[in-house]
Amino acid sequence: MHSTMQVKYSYLDEQFADVETYFQDLRELVSTGEFTLGPFVEAFEKKFAAYIGIKHAIGTNTGTGALILCLKAVGVKPGSEVITVANTFIASAGAIVAAGARPVFVDCDERYQIDVSKIEAALSPKTAAIMPVHWAGCSPDMDRVLEIADRHAIPVVEDSCPAVGASINGQSAGTFGRVNAFSMHPLKPLNVWGDGGIVVTNDDQAAEFLRLYQNHGLVDRDHVEFWGVNERLQPVQAVVASRVLDTIEDLIEARIRNARRLDAGLKGLENYITSPYRPEGYREVYQLYLAIATRRDELLSFLVSRGIEAKVHYPIPIHLQNAARDLGYQRGSFPVCERQADEIITLPAHQHITDEQIDFIISEIRKFYGKH
Amino acid sequence: MPSYTVPYTALSAEASLEKKELMQAVESVLDSGRYVLGPEVKAFEQEFAEHCQSKFAIGVASGTCALHLVLRGLGLKEGDEVITAPNSFIASAATVALAGARPVFVDICEDGNLDPERLEDAINHRTRGIVPVHLTGRPAKMKEIMQIADRHDLFVLEDAAQSLGATLDGNHVGNWGDAACFSLHPLKNLHAFGDGGMVTSQNPDLVAHLVKSRNHGLADREQCDFWGFNCRLDEIQAAMLRVQLRRLDAWTHTRRTLAHRYNDLLRPFVNVPDEGPGEHCVFQTYVIKAERRDELKIFLNENGVEALVHYATPIHLQPAAADLGYTAADFPVTMDHVGKIISLPLYPMLTHAQQDRVAELISFFYQNN
Repeated sequence: MHSTMQVKYSYLDEQFADVETYFQDLRELVSTGEFTLGPFVEAFEKKFAAYIGIKHAIGTNTGTGALILCLKAVGVKPGSEVITVANTFIASAGAIVAAGARPVFVDCDERYQIDVSKIEAALSPKTAAIMPVHWAGCSPDMDRVLEIADRHAIPVVEDSCPAVGASINGQSAGTFGRVNAFSMHPLKPLNVWGDGGIVVTNDDQAAEFLRLYQNHGLVDRDHVEFWGVNERLQPVQAVVASRVLDTIEDLIEARIRNARRLDAGLKGLENYITSPYRPEGYREVYQLYLAIATRRDELLSFLVSRGIEAKVHYPIPIHLQNAARDLGYQRGSFPVCERQADEIITLPAHQHITDEQIDFIISEIRKFYGKH
Repeated sequence: MPSYTVPYTALSAEASLEKKELMQAVESVLDSGRYVLGPEVKAFEQEFAEHCQSKFAIGVASGTCALHLVLRGLGLKEGDEVITAPNSFIASAATVALAGARPVFVDICEDGNLDPERLEDAINHRTRGIVPVHLTGRPAKMKEIMQIADRHDLFVLEDAAQSLGATLDGNHVGNWGDAACFSLHPLKNLHAFGDGGMVTSQNPDLVAHLVKSRNHGLADREQCDFWGFNCRLDEIQAAMLRVQLRRLDAWTHTRRTLAHRYNDLLRPFVNVPDEGPGEHCVFQTYVIKAERRDELKIFLNENGVEALVHYATPIHLQPAAADLGYTAADFPVTMDHVGKIISLPLYPMLTHAQQDRVAELISFFYQNN
C-alpha cells in the first residue's frame, strides 16, 4: 500500500534530462549562423512530411499560427464562417477570428470529438471551411466529415494540433483535409523547447502561397508579392523537433501502453469514472488522457492532495468564454460539451510514467470512490 | 556564394565567443521544465525595460508581432488610416494592413526618417495614428511628430525595430509615443537566435491588453477574455537574450566608434551618416549614400566586401501595395535615397583592417573610374 507518490503532469525535465545530443545539433546550428528559416528548418520539414505521409510540410512559429495559415490558404476571409467544436483549446476559435472569420460551433460526441451528425445543420452560405479537431490526440470520424464537406464543396482544415502520430486505419491525422495544422508546444507528443507548429498539405498551390505568406510575402529579399506575416519556425526549435521526431514512435507507444493500463485499471468503476469508447482502427496518441468522473471537482482535489497532478481540459467551453459573448451562444447551446466540461478530468499518462505510478493513480481513484 | 573578406555579418563568430554561457542559459531553462512564458521571459522583460528606461516591456514572438499586437490593442478598425514611412522594412506597413487598416505613406527627410513637415498633408478624418520608424538606428524627429500627433489626437507607435539604445536629446527612442516595438531578429544589435520582439509602453491598460493578446486572450489558464493570438517570446530565447543584454552597451559603444571611424574615412567620397543635433544613433545598419551606387555595390562585392541595399524597392512600389495607388513619383526624397543607399558591414567584431579595406576600395572606385 503506497502512502503517497508524486505523479507529475509535466515530464519535460525527464524527457530532456540528457541534452548532449541536442546540444551537439545546436552547436552546429550556431556555427552556421542560420537563425532564420534555412537548411535546418527545411531538413525538419522534409522529415516530418515523410513521417506523416504528405507532400509539403511548412514549419511555423506556433500551432495557432499554423491554423491561421491553413484557414488563409483555403480562402477563409472576413465575413466567412468556419465550423469547429467548442470543446477544444481556445486557439482553435481564436485562429478563426484571427483569419477574420466567425467561429460556428457544433456539439461533440461521447468520444469528445466533433458530433458529425450536427455539422450539416451548422452550414450556411458563408461557411468557408469545416475544421474538426483531433481533440486530445484522438481522431474524429474523418471519412464522414470529408463526405459531408465534399457534398457541399467546402474545404476541410484539420486541427490536428494535439495529434502528431494519430491515425485512422493507418492514415495519419493531418492527411485528410486540404491544409492541416500541428502544434509542437511542449506538452504535445512531438514537442520543442518553446513554441512551434507545422502546416501540411498535398496542394502545391497552397504550399507555394504559404511559403510566401509566412515570411512577409517576400518572393526574394527585395520583392513583396502581398501583405504577409512573420510565422516562421525557429531553426533552434527545428533542430529539437528533428531529434524528438527520431524517437516519436517510441514515445507514442509508451503513451499507448500507459493509457491501456489506466483503461484496464478503471474497469469495474463504470458507475463513477469512464474512459471513452475507443473504436477499432483509431490510433490515439493520448496527448491528454481524458475520463468522465462523477464528483469531478472533489476527485480532482483528492488526487492533487495525494500528489497526483490531474487537471481539467477545460472547465469552461469556448462558447461560454467572455471572448465569445458576441457570437450569440448561451448555456444550453451545446449540452454534451457543457456536461463534459463539468465532468471531464485529465489523468497523467505520459511516456515517463511508471507502471507503479499508474497503479497508484488507480488505487487512489478506487479509494476516493470507496471501491478499494 | 562568394567568400567575403569583409562579410556583412559575423553572427556565428559572435555567438562562438559566448557559446558556453548561451548553452548554460538554455540548459537552465530545460532543467526548469518551464518552456513557455516562465521566469526567463519575465526577468528579460524587466531588464529590457530598465535598459530602455521604460515602465513596461512585454516579450513577443517577433518585431512584426509586436507591431501587429499593438495596432490591434489600439483598436484599429476597417477604414482607419495609419501613416508610416515608405522606405522601411515591409512589416511596418504590412502590420497596419494586417490589423485591418490602410497604410498611408509620407516622404522622408535627408536623414532617412519620416519628414514631419509633410505629415499634416497626409492627415484626414480617417487617420488614427502615426508609426514613425527609427530606421538604421537613427531617431526620427520625435519632437515635431509628437506635436503634430497631439494636435490631431493621433496615437504614435514608434517602430524602433532597428534602434534599441538610440536617444534623442537624451531620451530613449520608444519613450516618446504611446508604445514602441523592437525586433530581436538575428541581424539586430540585440538579437535572439531566431525570432523575437519586444513592446515597451508607459500605458498600463495597453500593457495589460498585450499580456493577454500575445497569449490567446487568456486571463488565466481557464478564462479567455477576448480573441487573441499566440505571439509569445520563447523562454529559451529570453534566457539567451539575457546573456547578450549584459554586453549590449559595450557592443553599441564599439559599433558607434566604428561608425564614426567609417564616417571620417569615407566622407571625401560619399554621403556619410553623421549624427544630427541631439541624436545618439546606434547604427544597426551603416548606410551611406553613394553616386553610381549599383556599380559601387558590384565593385565592392567583387572585391570581397559584402555590401547590401536596405531596401532596394520601397514599400509603396511593392506588388503588395498595388491597391494603395501610389506611383514612383509620389515620394521623391525616398526615391533619391533608394537609388543611392548602400549598407556596409558594421558589427562589433569588424576590425580596423577590414574597415580600411572597405575605405580603400571606395576611394579607389571614385578616383579611378
